[in-house]
Amino acid sequence: MKYDIFFAGVGGQGILTIGEVLAEVAHYKDIPANFYPSKGMAQRGGFVKAQLRLGRENVGPNIPQRGADMVIAMEQSESLKAIPFIKPGGDFVLYSDIWAPTAVALGKAPYPTFAQITEQVKLAGARLVHIDPGQLPEYAGELVHANLYVLGVIMGQTALGTLIRSEDVEHIIQTRFKRNTEANSFAYRSGLGMPLVVS
Amino acid sequence: MKKLITGNEAIAYGALRAGVKAVTGYPGTPSTGCLSSLLAMDLVDTHVEWSVNEKVALEVATGVAWSGHRALCTMKMSGLNVAYDTLISVAYSGCDGGLVVYVADDPGASAGMCEQDSRSFAVMADMPMLEPATVAETYELTKFAFELSERIKGPVFLRLVTGIADSYAEVEIEEPVLVSQAAPLLIKDIQRYTKAGAVIATNQHRDLIQRLEQAGQITDEAKINKLSLSRKPGGLGILASGIAAAYLEEGFEAAAPFGFNREDVSTLEIKVVHPFPAAEARKMLAHCQTILILEELEPLIERGMYVEAQRMGYRGKITGKLDGVFSRIGEYGVPQVVQGIESVLRLGIPENLLSGNTQALKLAAARPITVCAGCPHRGTYIAIDKAIKKLRLKKNEVMVTGDIGCTILGMNPPFDLIWTEISMGASVSLAQGYVHAGVKTPVIATIGDSTFFHAGIAGLVNAIQHQIDLTLVIMDNRWTAMTGMQVNPGTPCNNGASTYQEIDIARIIPALGIEHFWTVDPFDVEETAGVIHQAMTLPGVKVVLARQECAIQAQRQGKQAGKVHVVEENCNLCKLCLMVTGCSAFSLGANAIEIDPELCYGCGVCIETCHHDALVAEEV
Ligand code: SF4
Ligand code: SF4
Repeated sequence: MKYDIFFAGVGGQGILTIGEVLAEVAHYKDIPANFYPSKGMAQRGGFVKAQLRLGRENVGPNIPQRGADMVIAMEQSESLKAIPFIKPGGDFVLYSDIWAPTAVALGKAPYPTFAQITEQVKLAGARLVHIDPGQLPEYAGELVHANLYVLGVIMGQTALGTLIRSEDVEHIIQTRFKRNTEANSFAYRSGLGMPLVVS
Repeated sequence: MKKLITGNEAIAYGALRAGVKAVTGYPGTPSTGCLSSLLAMDLVDTHVEWSVNEKVALEVATGVAWSGHRALCTMKMSGLNVAYDTLISVAYSGCDGGLVVYVADDPGASAGMCEQDSRSFAVMADMPMLEPATVAETYELTKFAFELSERIKGPVFLRLVTGIADSYAEVEIEEPVLVSQAAPLLIKDIQRYTKAGAVIATNQHRDLIQRLEQAGQITDEAKINKLSLSRKPGGLGILASGIAAAYLEEGFEAAAPFGFNREDVSTLEIKVVHPFPAAEARKMLAHCQTILILEELEPLIERGMYVEAQRMGYRGKITGKLDGVFSRIGEYGVPQVVQGIESVLRLGIPENLLSGNTQALKLAAARPITVCAGCPHRGTYIAIDKAIKKLRLKKNEVMVTGDIGCTILGMNPPFDLIWTEISMGASVSLAQGYVHAGVKTPVIATIGDSTFFHAGIAGLVNAIQHQIDLTLVIMDNRWTAMTGMQVNPGTPCNNGASTYQEIDIARIIPALGIEHFWTVDPFDVEETAGVIHQAMTLPGVKVVLARQECAIQAQRQGKQAGKVHVVEENCNLCKLCLMVTGCSAFSLGANAIEIDPELCYGCGVCIETCHHDALVAEEV
């Protein structure tokens, strides 16, 4: 199996954590992997991207354009930066959260509409898997972590779910985050579309 | 044990496996993770420190190596420039214990700064330089670098690029080797360890050249570079340096459907980027009809290849940057492999095989980075802005020089204050030049605390000596923040566990004889603006120390400056608060501005920007 994932979002959303979890799953299951996060600087709210390359022994960190089997984007405008990288026929997963830059909030700069993104995804020949931030569930009265929910959706609805096992993803989530284990499981499983198994 | 680690960590583990006695460095993206991972290990027998700057770091490491022990020194490419004065001397002298200098370059400049190709520094210092193509190779080459250094008795460079330094991959890690407790060698030999006089210096130069030659022999024997000649002579030969080699296989796969046959191609994967692998290069030239060279940034290997080709009377073609096929800008990847193959073999590979729709990028909203919610620098910038206005001047009339680190974010909206960024500590010296040039309006220099200690202090001393009229604003957030929160000499060591001595900038400035010196709280914007305004009207060197801890680091320690909330009835959504502060804790609600309580640090800087009393501080 060779499978490449390109991530795009902004700092503070936890998008790099999705990549880290998947890289750890690969490590756990002896799948060769290279995970290359680019977080830029310490500040929150800046563009972050990452690239996960699964299944190649000797591999460079950068996915070529038109080379990603899947894009995971967690900010509407930043998702556009991933468009050149999606493979025709690939899965373009968009969690359409909006982090408006100040100039946009002040009405001084434009911000791309959802329809514009859809059009670009279509032009790239990819399949859009849209996750509306409004559908994020609550656990014990608080919204769950969007990244784990998104990870669940990915495992449930994209080809990645057939390449690695959901149990392994959940195992890594459980070992990686010692706190709020139930809430994390709930977030992940809600995304996966599985009912929560109360233990 | 197999571990998932970054290239930076691979160097750290490789050094531990080599029994490293001391590791020194200065933070700099993308090299930081190496030393910070070692610090986090709380090692007992290995000394690990963030030094005040790279030059000092290298000198500390050199002392260890000259005493016969192993030392590692880490830095980014800009830091190497700072350390270089020392490095040339150390290269001349050589060393007894293994001395490895790790430098991280950033093709594509993803961390800002520059696309400096530090391989040229290896050429200038006549020092061997090793460069792995993957994270796993990084670990192996680190161990080898220490051996090589001790065999030639000279320092060795290890170079990574961002894509490897920050990448995670699985590496087989061995147990660390026990650190030698041998008594330090105390070698008194002025012929080696001083530079006084032409005889000493030229003898050392001769030895240096010999060491480099010897390094070439050792790396040849150890077969560090990977040469693979095709069964049939003739055909294409590809030289790929460092990370470029990691893309070969994938490029070959992409070209295969167009008739490319991997079996017909010879490859040389170069991991010893200096000295030039002449023997292997000659084998390639003797075997291949055409040569393709894949290397990021400067055509260093390519030039070496032209030289060997000339010496051999090679009649084939060499393709790379010098014939205009590749660019000296940016990272390499699979597309360069394919493009190179196509330009040489003309297989009819379509140009857009690996190029996607970049039109989409034009639709993306601009996202200039700004300071974090609650960042103390926000208050300082707003205060500088106010001080300029109080003097009835405009922003484009007042020169404000900037420096490296989070403080540079004053160049972006909503502040738009900073005009320049050069290098660590340069703001205060550059400002003096503007004054000499005859700028009539007050000149301001801004600098962070770590940057001040690193190199800014010398510029300040110069300003005082030459009695320049300027205002220096030291924005002391107590941490080296932008690289991910490292300690610097001014970081408070209040956690009891730290083993260093804090140095207080507030005590340094008066000791330099500066009369006009104020310490202010940047969260008190009025006071800060008043002080900066006053400073701008006075003659001579004035220093304003704006001191408040980095909000991110403070919040990590559970601190909170206060609590600010919105009185919805009072807010008329004029957005003035957002316009002035650009704070990311704000968002637009339906009827009023909203503050995200998770992001807001309660710094209070926004409160007075509102003319309708809609932002109020809560008692905490
Ligand atoms: S108090 Fe105001 S400026 Fe400070 S962090 Fe909160 S919202 Fe931002
Ligand atoms: S990391 Fe700290 S110093 Fe840097 S912008 Fe954020 S709050 Fe300010």
